[in-house]
Amino acid sequence: MKTQQNDVVAEYLRELDQRLAGIPVLQRRELLADLEAHIAAERAERHVSGEGELIEILERLGSPEVVAAAAHEEAGTVFRHPAPPRRRLWPWLVGAGALLVVFAFCAFALFFARVDSSEVPAPGPAVTAPVPEPQPTS
Amino acid sequence: MADVSQLSTSLRRGTLEFCVLALVETEDRYGNEIVRRLGEEPNLAAGEGTIYPLLSRLRRSGWLESKWVESPSGPPRRYYGLTLDGRSALDHFRTEWVSFRHTVDRLVGTGEAV
Repeated sequence: MKTQQNDVVAEYLRELDQRLAGIPVLQRRELLADLEAHIAAERAERHVSGEGELIEILERLGSPEVVAAAAHEEAGTVFRHPAPPRRRLWPWLVGAGALLVVFAFCAFALFFARVDSSEVPAPGPAVTAPVPEPQPTS
Repeated sequence: MADVSQLSTSLRRGTLEFCVLALVETEDRYGNEIVRRLGEEPNLAAGEGTIYPLLSRLRRSGWLESKWVESPSGPPRRYYGLTLDGRSALDHFRTEWVSFRHTVDRLVGTGEAV
């Protein structure tokens, strides 16, 4: 029961912390410590026993969004999502690269299959430029 | 409805901090006391938690000072008190506010009938 209650508080503080990105670290830590002390004092003074009462304490504090908005207003900062978009670009680049390799391989295989079956030199000689390279490896 | 809350937000901005200063004018109080007292007023605080960033700013600007004190029941409490700068800021606000209020009352027609 006790740990379940701590989970609610921890989750609340974590959600708040996520929305404090952009605020100087010491102000961020100060706010979290103040709220932690506030919750602990309320629990001690009101002899809070159940999770319902604990949620009431958190509701009186205000949602993480509301508290974070007040913090950003006081600090003169703006909430930005911390995840940089550059990181998301990498999987796409890798995927596109892999696709290109597969295409090149297919074209390569197709070209050779045609050469083997007809034994006629390729009509476009310039296209064969990259072809000789992989041969020694196989 | 959105306009109503927007208006109270605007009115709160710039005045709430002096309500906080006035709360600790005569005696030091800890965070929960201040926050609870303001939370009881329907048109002042949007949520008790929104007062803590304000307390932090007032402390950093030198109008409040704070100290952590052991509590006989429960965890340590952070007490806030008025500094000399905070006291003169509050005095200044009081004179400004009275003349400001009179002006608004006169222009908006909310003052007592003359």
